[in-house]
Amino acid sequence: MAEYVYDQQKMSNGLEAIIASNSSNTAREWLQQRLQKAASIPQFNQTFTAIPRFTGKNIISVTSEQAAVLQQDVPGFFVHGWTLDRLVRVWWLLQLNISTKTIYIDTVEQLFNAAEMNELAALYSALPLLAFPEAWKLRTAEGIRSNIGIVQEAIMLHNPYPAKYLDEPAWNQLVMKAIFTDKPLHRISGLDERRNIALAAILTDFAHERWAAGRKVDPMQWRLLTPFINNENLPDITRVWHSADQTEKAAAALVCAGSDYLPAQQLLASNLTLATEIQDGALTWDVIATKLSQ
Amino acid sequence: MCGIHELTEKDLQPLSYTPAYLDKIKGMRFFDPHVHMTSRTTDDYQAMADAGIVALIEPAFWLGQPRTGVDTFRDYFNSLLGWERFRASQFGIKHYCTIGLNSKEANNEKLAEAVMEILPQFIYKEGVVGVGEIGFDDQTALEEKYYRAQLELAKEAGLPVQIHTPHRDKKKGTQRSMDIAIEHGLPPHMVIVDHNNEETVKEVLDRGFWAAFTIYPFTKMGNERMVAVVKQYGSERIMVNSAADWGISDPLAVPKTAALMHESGIDLNDIHSVTYMNAVKAFAQSGQINESDFELAGNIDQSERFNGSTVLRGGQQPRINKNTTIIR
Ligand SMILES: [Zn+2]
Repeated sequence: MAEYVYDQQKMSNGLEAIIASNSSNTAREWLQQRLQKAASIPQFNQTFTAIPRFTGKNIISVTSEQAAVLQQDVPGFFVHGWTLDRLVRVWWLLQLNISTKTIYIDTVEQLFNAAEMNELAALYSALPLLAFPEAWKLRTAEGIRSNIGIVQEAIMLHNPYPAKYLDEPAWNQLVMKAIFTDKPLHRISGLDERRNIALAAILTDFAHERWAAGRKVDPMQWRLLTPFINNENLPDITRVWHSADQTEKAAAALVCAGSDYLPAQQLLASNLTLATEIQDGALTWDVIATKLSQ
Repeated sequence: MCGIHELTEKDLQPLSYTPAYLDKIKGMRFFDPHVHMTSRTTDDYQAMADAGIVALIEPAFWLGQPRTGVDTFRDYFNSLLGWERFRASQFGIKHYCTIGLNSKEANNEKLAEAVMEILPQFIYKEGVVGVGEIGFDDQTALEEKYYRAQLELAKEAGLPVQIHTPHRDKKKGTQRSMDIAIEHGLPPHMVIVDHNNEETVKEVLDRGFWAAFTIYPFTKMGNERMVAVVKQYGSERIMVNSAADWGISDPLAVPKTAALMHESGIDLNDIHSVTYMNAVKAFAQSGQINESDFELAGNIDQSERFNGSTVLRGGQQPRINKNTTIIR
């Protein structure tokens, strides 16, 4: 049974280095002092809650060396743009004793149950680092149902846990919720790797619904259809291809470029400019993402 | 998918028409220190933001009927710290709360004990600016027991206390509430006595407590009476709130009262004190209020916002005009 699935000591040290370069002496002294009491669960919980009062909530700065250490240990784990209190809370969770699995899981679950928004964001951000990773699947699926923006983002964006552990229906639910709430899809870890035919079908249905209501469809969403273009959904891609909106047209071109389906390749070949741009690497999904965020 | 769609910035545009009283308070900022947003709609947040409310406090209250288990209290407290705070933030309104066991539900001893056990988990959370609203309803022995126990909690946590005073036998209930707070060693400046009226205000102020007034139609204060109170007692340690909840109440009571005060010739500084500054001062004693957090939201003129200030970014669309019959 897996406890930590990565080198916990290395990660803890890596986070500590970032905390050290972003916090005051008083905050570090307070944390050291709290560490002595971390073995008591009520004390552990109280520290978790009190952290922002002592660390403040400044956005941290992370050097590329510091980020590389984290990435080596847990690929896809990403702390850029976090506030210091969130970082410290995630580090603090790594100090929880894991010798008794039931106590460990129960303690973390109780933190979730009494958490306010920022605490929830920290807890969900910590998912890729928690011990017994299989234990958090239901909790993650529950979190996807949240209506609170920062909580959704903590789970959905730059978090490698969901792609690695969620089953297909829960994963598809995550992607759909991200689309419903206008999240930047390209920042979902594992987006391409976990493309699946069921999700492709849900997405085309959803697009039909949007079109019927006279609404637009996020061009990034078509990326998820790329390996599954067939005679059934080709008309949808063709419709996007003929859009007056250049970003939409570019998205359709990228889908066709990634597809093995001959009619899709023929569609792309009908526009030499776009085909060449894709071939030269001048048009990519990242380019589309940048355009969409402007 | 049905249910609540997350709000995006396109929902935050100003109304395209302006009620007349808003002209009188244009550019003013308000803090409503007592309002139960859980029982209000998102439209109310929109109207409150338009009227200049930049921050509010939601005291933990009862739901109109008793709760049957501690878990529903936990969920309720979580919603004050979570969904409500987020919903308010979508309109640039800073949402704080006070946490406590209300007097009505103190009368169920078994449940009250269980709630007391979970309170310490919540009162130390970010943005919890006091223990409240606590105190007396029927003035029973159990109400007194849990009022005292919560005063002790507040003292230990260094938090202000927000006291609900009873409808019936109000004068005696208010006196007792203050006596007991003093007995437990809470200094008057850490206690906000709520729902005052002409009968209670003098003693509350004379003893050094904060005197809050609830503008609530029919049952509590009307705002014409409020104008008279401020004319008589001045603006020191007096604050106005709406206590809007699931009853017939008005979440715009604070800005509307400010407009009426302005019309009645009350000095702008005094209006600012009773509709904003005093509440900030009283509850900032918790160490949990940072005025700069809501300065940005409050400083933004609606018309400026509309023309694309720093708060709203791309993808803006005109907000729904409520005067049209077409819904898109
Ligand atoms: Zn109330």
